[in-house]
Order: sequence, then C-alpha cells, then structure tokens
Amino acid sequence: MSLIKLKNVSKIYRLGSQKIPALTDLSLVFDVGEFVVLAGPSGSGKTTALNLIGCLDRPTAGQVIIGDLDLQSASSRQLADFRLQHIGFIFQSYNLIPVLTAAENAEFTLMLQKVPKQIRRQRVSKLFAELGIDGLEGRRPADLSGGQQQRVAIARAMAAEPHVILADEPTANLDSHTAEELLELMRRLNREKGTTFIFSSHDDRVISQARRVIRLEDGHLAADITITA
Amino acid sequence: MLLTLAFRNLWRNRRRTLLTLSAMVVSAALLILALGVFSGMFKDMLASATEQYYGHLVIARPEYHLRRDLFAHLPADIADQLPLENEAEITGKSPRLRSFGLLSRPETSQPVELLGIIPRMEQQVTSLQHQLTAGHYPTEEEHNGALIGQGLARKMKVKPGDEMVFVTQAADGSIGNDLLIVSGIFATGDSRHDNNLVLAPLPWLQQVLVLPGRIHEVAMVVADPMTAAQIADRLTAALPENIEVLDWGDLLPEMREVIAAYDVSRMIVVTILYLATGLGILNTFFMSVMERTREFGILMAQGMRPWTIRGLVLLETLLLGGLALVIGLLCGAILTLYMQQIGIDLSGYITSVTYAGGTILPRLHAVFEAGNFLVPAGMLLLVSLFAGFLPANRAARLDPVVAVRDI
Ligand SMILES: Nc1ncnc2c1ncn2[C@@H]1O[C@H](COP(=O)(O)OP(=O)(O)OP(=O)(O)O)[C@@H](O)[C@H]1O
Ligand SMILES: [Mg+2]
Repeated sequence: MSLIKLKNVSKIYRLGSQKIPALTDLSLVFDVGEFVVLAGPSGSGKTTALNLIGCLDRPTAGQVIIGDLDLQSASSRQLADFRLQHIGFIFQSYNLIPVLTAAENAEFTLMLQKVPKQIRRQRVSKLFAELGIDGLEGRRPADLSGGQQQRVAIARAMAAEPHVILADEPTANLDSHTAEELLELMRRLNREKGTTFIFSSHDDRVISQARRVIRLEDGHLAADITITA
Repeated sequence: MLLTLAFRNLWRNRRRTLLTLSAMVVSAALLILALGVFSGMFKDMLASATEQYYGHLVIARPEYHLRRDLFAHLPADIADQLPLENEAEITGKSPRLRSFGLLSRPETSQPVELLGIIPRMEQQVTSLQHQLTAGHYPTEEEHNGALIGQGLARKMKVKPGDEMVFVTQAADGSIGNDLLIVSGIFATGDSRHDNNLVLAPLPWLQQVLVLPGRIHEVAMVVADPMTAAQIADRLTAALPENIEVLDWGDLLPEMREVIAAYDVSRMIVVTILYLATGLGILNTFFMSVMERTREFGILMAQGMRPWTIRGLVLLETLLLGGLALVIGLLCGAILTLYMQQIGIDLSGYITSVTYAGGTILPRLHAVFEAGNFLVPAGMLLLVSLFAGFLPANRAARLDPVVAVRDI
C-alpha cells in the first residue's frame, strides 16, 4: 500500500538572483512499513527531500501526495496539523526543547493533540522503557548524553504513533557504537510496530542496515535498490 | 503546558528577564509615585482655595455672584429651607455676610474684606482654625471678636486683644462703624487672604450693615470635591429662580482648567515613559526569539500551529508584563504611602506659590487616586502586548525549513 508519492518533484532554492536546484524531477513511492535510507554525498538533496516528505516545505514543481492530502493547496496551518497527526521528525542534533524535561519533550506532540495527561504519562513511560531510557524522565536535555537525547527524540516522534518517522542523519553526531544501537532500535520499532522509517545518511555502515536504499546525486535519483532477504 | 513553557523560557535567561522586569517595575512604580505627588499637589491647591475661603459650593443670588451686590441678600436660614436632599454628601454649611470697608487704627487704616460668620459653622467649611499664629478663633460669646490675616495684622500693628474700627457703607445708606477686638491671627501662605481678610461674628456685621437676619451666601463643603459640579447643577435646578449654586470650578475657573489639563497630561506622560519601556521589551523579546529560531523550527516540525507559536511568545511578554504590573503597583503603592504619611518638606528651599487661585505648598506629599494606578497598570499591559506582538509575529512566520537548519 503506497503511503507517500513524489511525482516529478523539483525544488529550486533562490539565493538572491541565484537559483539553486536542490532536487530535479524526482519521482518516488514509499509503502507502509518500509525502512528506507536516503543516501548521497553532502549537498545531494537528502534534507530537501525529507522536508518535502515531512510537509515542512512545498515543492517548486511536481506533486507530493501523502495519504490523500495534496500538499500544494494546503495552508501552513493545515500543514502543521498534518505533521502533528501523521509525521514524526528526528533531526541530526539539538532536537529537544532545552527548558522541558525528557518526559515533557516526549509528551509534547501528545500535548498538542490534547491527549489527556494520564494517557500521555503512560505512553511515554512505556516508550522510555522500550528505548532503554527509563529513569531519565525528569532530566533536562543538557544533562543527557547525545545518544540519550536522540532516544528521547525517537520517543517523542513515536509517542503520537505517526504513520512515518523522518530522521535526518540521526546518527551523525554519535559515536559508532551508539549509532549502531540507535539504528538497531529503529529497526526493532519498524519490525514490531510497523512504523515507516525514512532517514538520511552518508555513513556506509548505517546504509548497509537498510532494506531499501535510495541514492541521490546532485538532486537526481541515482539508484533505488531494495534488498530482498 | 504552554504556560509552563512560557514561564521556563522567561526564567531561562534570568539576568535579561530580571533586567527587563526591573526596568518595567521601576518605571511603573516611579510613575505611580509621580502621579501621586502631582495629585497631592493639585489636591493641596484645591484644598487651599476651598478650605481657606471658598468652600466647594456657594449658594447666593446671581447678582451677588456677579457683582457682590450688597443688596442681593438672602434670609439667614435659607440653607435650612433648601431641598438639600443630598444631606449625606454635604458635610458642612456656613452662612456668611460680606462687606468691603476700611479697618482703622489711630495711626493707619487698611482696605479689607470682612466676612460675618458663625464660628461653629464656618469651621466646618474653612480650616483657618488650624492656621492660627496667635490668639484664638473667635467664640460665639465674643460679640465683636475678629480673626485677621497675618499680613494685615502686621500692617495694622495689632496683636490679640487690640481694638480696631471697621468702617463701611450700610444697607440703609448710612455709614456703619463699630469696634472690633482682635481674637486671633491666621496665616495661610496665600497673601490675598493673609493681607486682606477679616472674619467677625455674623450678628455683629448684620448690625453694622443694618441687615438683621440676612446673609449673602452659604458656603458648603462636600465629601468628594470632584462631585461638586454635579451637586451644584442638581441643587440649582431644585432652587427658586433667583437663587443659584456655584461650584468651585465656577468660582475658580483656572483651577478647573489646570485639573482637566492634568488628566490629559497624565496620559501623555504615561505614554511617553512607556514608549521607552515598550522598546526595551521589544528588544528583549526580539533577541529571545532570534536565539530560539531552531527551537521554534522544532516546535513547528512537531506540528505546533503558527498561531500557537505566536501565542507562546505573547504569553511570555504578558507574563512578564503581569509580573511587572503586580510588583510595580505594589512598589508604587508603598512609595505613595510613604509620601502620603511622611512626605518631604521643602519649606527650607522654596516658599509657597499661589497659582490658579490655589496655593502650592512647599512640600512633596502624595495622595492615593485610583486613576494614578489604573492608567499605568492598563498601559503596562497594553504596552507588553504591543511590544510582544512584533517578535511573536516574527516567530510565527519563521520558515520551518530555515529554522530547523539554524544551529
Ligand atoms: N535554504 C536554502 N537556500 C539555498 N540553498 C539551499 C537551501 N537549503 C539547501 N540548499 C542547497 O540545496 C542543495 C541540497 O541541499 P540539502 O541540504 O538537501 O543536501 P543534503 O544532501 O542534505 O546535504 P548534507 O549531507 O550536507 O546535509 C545544496 O546545494 C544546498 O546548498
Ligand atoms: Mg542534510
């Protein structure tokens, strides 16, 4: 079942009079439950593609269709609501709101969804246990290690049970051991809960863990390989 | 949770928040104090004019108001016949007969204004009894005891117990004259009264003027001077055609102007001072929003609506404004209370000044007036809201793509 469709998508950034084509005529289809990595050298358009898939940005040309929502005609409020209901984001670093505790950060989307406090607490403490960060609920981000912070970010992305979690180089700031653990965790969540993961990376060890690798070069699709076990 | 977030965001940069807060508190508190002192000054001015001489309301015939016509007199018990249904608001009534004449001693004579009064009743309206420098206030038993101004006493070279002769034209066309004995000497600081005014018993003056049982006016005081005009209008409407009630605003038109101008200038002063405070808040919150660009990007990526982001920043400014308001009002009230109870005596540096018919005393002292608190308070909230709006808009309009990139 197809979840996300990019149809001939182009994105051109403008810097003054200069036009920077970040993505050119990209067409992709993502299905429910996939575990996909966007690979490619720096500047190849990975972040741009994730932002488009995540409804954070609109394409210059072409269509991004998620479920039955066509992004072109949506207002920024509609986009915000759509992100809230369907999409989880994990960024490379500094993902968390520094004035909120780990648990409050993780509860944040649920709070925006007006989920009652009790249910929020329950869900988040369950997730913290699954992610191996139970006991850190009351800590501020500044008092957490990079790996712990990323786990809290995953908990936040997972808490609202979105259809897809987008992660832009989630392991780039972590040492290789922690990075591997985190990746393993995401794969497990993908297996057990069926959550779709799309993340970007240029680390070959990370890329080798994915079942589908989409390779971008200069904003073009260079390869789309699915590894069938 | 938005409230928690707003609170913690404020607390995050403690030094900056506290600096902005103290600027707001100080400006609000000093403003309240300054307004209190101004109000005190105006109250002094008004009180000096009304308590030394006029009263808040004066009942008389229109010709008497206009020309001090000797013959425009009223029965002495007029005040009791009037439909004074506002008995509660009127706290004092004093029937008076007035005469202009010469006060003589063998060596010198001076033109004076002589008020015939009933001591017990006059003391409800004016407060010369508290401004005596020698002798005592004339009593009902002294049939020709006089209270005279200090300047006048000096020119006449009299002291309590001395005799003087008052000469004037009586109502029957004869020359009225009779002996007065100085009972006391008063000093108000207002030279017009100190050099010119004499108070003597009403029956004595009625006899000199050959106007038995008659008076020229009834001076009255009310609990709140600001309601005097309304009461005057109400009373005039209920009185016979040939009797009129004037309030202190009619008797002292400049004073009314000065007080009306104060209400306007208060708004202007508050606006100017708060414009500066507003710029301070604006600066603080712009800085705070710029620093948090990435955080707003993350909040947006989580699905926080632009309006909620705007609300968050506005909430922060309003929290700060509200806090400043509470502390500022409190400090302002304490300062005002201090200046009300103790005040600052300036008599060593300046003398009293007579202006717009009233006397500005050489002292700083404050009074409580609701407007002096409500205007700064309301404006502070308004200014916080306005100063918050620009940064809030800025935050809400951030492009999430650019914002999350910002580290
Ligand atoms: N806001 C922007 N304004 C102008 N140009 C931009 C902007 N964002 C990205 N670009 C340009 O678009 C191209 C693609 O950028 P993008 O960030 O998508 O690449 P990336 O694959 O994520 O790179 P990296 O691995 O370094 O994160 C680059 O040439 C980049 O300079
Ligand atoms: Mg990138």
